[in-house]
Amino acid sequence: MIFSTELLIQTLLSGLMVGVLYALMALGITFIYSIVKTINWAMGEFYMIGSYIQFVAVHFLLGPNWWWLAAILAAAGTFLLGLILEPILIKPMYARPLQRRDDYATVVTIALLLLLRNLAVALGGPNQYRPESNLPVVWIGPLPQEGARVAACLFALLALATFWLIIKKTWVGLALRAAAQNRVAVQTAGVDVYRLDAVAFAIGVALAGLAGALLAPLFMVFPTNGAVTTVKGFEIIVIGGLGSIPGALVGGVLLGLIESLGAAFISSPYQNVYGFLLVILILIIRPNGLFGERGREA
Amino acid sequence: MWRGGCAGGALLLSVLFGLGAAAAQEPIVFGVITPLSPPGETALGQLAKRGAEIGAEYINEKGGVLGRKVALSVQDSAGKNEQAVAAYRRLVSSDKAVAVFGFIHSGANIAVNEVAKEMGVPTMGTQTGASDVTAKHYDVAFRTHAVDPPRAATWLGWIKKNNFKRVSILAETTDYGIGLAKETEKQNKDKALGLEIQTIMFDRTTTDLLPQLLQVKAFKPDAIVNVGVGQPLDLMITQAHTVGLLPGAAMVTSYDAPARPQFWQLHGDKGVGINFVAFYSPKSELSEVGKEFAKRYQAKFNEPPVYAALNGFANALVFAEAIEKAKSTEPKAIIKALEEGSFSGWSKTPITFPRAEGALWHNWSPPLMVLSYAAKDQTPATATVAYVLGE
Repeated sequence: MIFSTELLIQTLLSGLMVGVLYALMALGITFIYSIVKTINWAMGEFYMIGSYIQFVAVHFLLGPNWWWLAAILAAAGTFLLGLILEPILIKPMYARPLQRRDDYATVVTIALLLLLRNLAVALGGPNQYRPESNLPVVWIGPLPQEGARVAACLFALLALATFWLIIKKTWVGLALRAAAQNRVAVQTAGVDVYRLDAVAFAIGVALAGLAGALLAPLFMVFPTNGAVTTVKGFEIIVIGGLGSIPGALVGGVLLGLIESLGAAFISSPYQNVYGFLLVILILIIRPNGLFGERGREA
Repeated sequence: MWRGGCAGGALLLSVLFGLGAAAAQEPIVFGVITPLSPPGETALGQLAKRGAEIGAEYINEKGGVLGRKVALSVQDSAGKNEQAVAAYRRLVSSDKAVAVFGFIHSGANIAVNEVAKEMGVPTMGTQTGASDVTAKHYDVAFRTHAVDPPRAATWLGWIKKNNFKRVSILAETTDYGIGLAKETEKQNKDKALGLEIQTIMFDRTTTDLLPQLLQVKAFKPDAIVNVGVGQPLDLMITQAHTVGLLPGAAMVTSYDAPARPQFWQLHGDKGVGINFVAFYSPKSELSEVGKEFAKRYQAKFNEPPVYAALNGFANALVFAEAIEKAKSTEPKAIIKALEEGSFSGWSKTPITFPRAEGALWHNWSPPLMVLSYAAKDQTPATATVAYVLGE
């Protein structure tokens, strides 16, 4: 392995940028879990749908100059899909007396995963696609960075900030935070908690859709492109702590950095292993994750 | 009693003859195990399937095999070993397939051969390059594709022709990638080529090759050998541009993925300058059946055929001819016919499967060359022939 300061900085930058994008996916998973108390195993498929919307919008409708509008459309499209699917698939978990809610959620979201993935193969074929990007190379000091990657990273940071503002400063955000703490109390206060569930699910999958759209020009568009990113999303929420928003961001960046540095300076074939090693380490030192809190169950 | 016995006998005979006639009408099943969904190399899988389908149509139009029609049973391996093995078991046990081909991923082909040597139905690698597909010398294992040594020799010849000195090999950690990386290093040493080689292996499920490519950039290579299959191959081209490796260095891909129609959609201007190992050029002369196939393929898909499709077609024809020669669909008889016969494929060179040494056991190799794209939207027909093995 070759080592130089320039190579180290370049690798750090690369890991940092990809980590921010991973964080979007992790945030979606952790946010849905906070409110709906459900792990959405089909998260990667919403990432995949976002990437397809980005490709169709850029390649056929808008052109590469309007990539940012396509990304907003991808987020909006997956948001709407989430809003439609949640009452059909997730709501019965609470609306009907079910004995094994976690099992129900696992089966339903895995079935959704298979359905969406096979639909993508049937509609788009098994081939890879890539939305065009005409963003120029950005120079950070003497180091070149692909324009699409820098733009995706900045856009992701903007989306994370917007998300934080909505959660912290709006009435909907307040209601969502309250539902995350105590669903019954929120219902008692006269809030329609089922509607909140739908909104939370839709926001969560929209974050995954946005990640897919932003990463489409970098990692390409194909029916299983969300699978690896989903695994990384779950790694991040273990590192950062389930239900923690800052944890998702810090976990994402840490994962991006450790993977990039490990692949560049230790051994490349084990790139995906370094993240798991970090997960094991965190589970030993801090089982609730870096920002997670110990849960209480009645 | 006598009358009853006669009636019973007549009934038995009619049932037996009836069953016999029905059996004679049943088609002979050829199994096709090929990647049709990710993470497999789906584009090549589709092409091999197209070739096999035209092959079956062609055979049936010519009267079938042993007076019976040929039917295909196509199974998706998704490029996964376990899925390919399950497909082979299903084909042999349930579908009664007498021959199996269409393999694109070496790992899947090698895994299937381990089961095939017990179950007995012969396999044929359509586009699998790893030595171990045939190097284990199993009776059931056949292949019509270039193995590691000539393939590595092809890009090494191209590298020498261009007087490149420093070479980076980026290879996936599969039978295919590991085999080719080792073979390249071995030939560099054995032939005293004097190349300085940097080898970096990567997990084929990786979604980001930037860390590896930054290491490659620091090595300052003249040429990069891209040994990715499917998505990693394209990711490497894209990200090599990102870090500024391309177009400065030359890149050669280990197989003919850039011949796929969607190559230019994926890469646009960044595809210019890419070199690729090819096993067929539209400028090559085809056999009579090869010409017939090219005509049918063009009419059906409105594009010229590429290698995977040609080989899928040829595999179907070879098995059909072997069964005719063996006058039997028994696996052992088919294997004997394959070993002893000479068969017509798409190339002018007849296909044979000698019991040769090493990976050349039961192996027919197509011609090998390096094609180069000098301008956007070129096709293999208009690409420059940059090197031909043995020139």
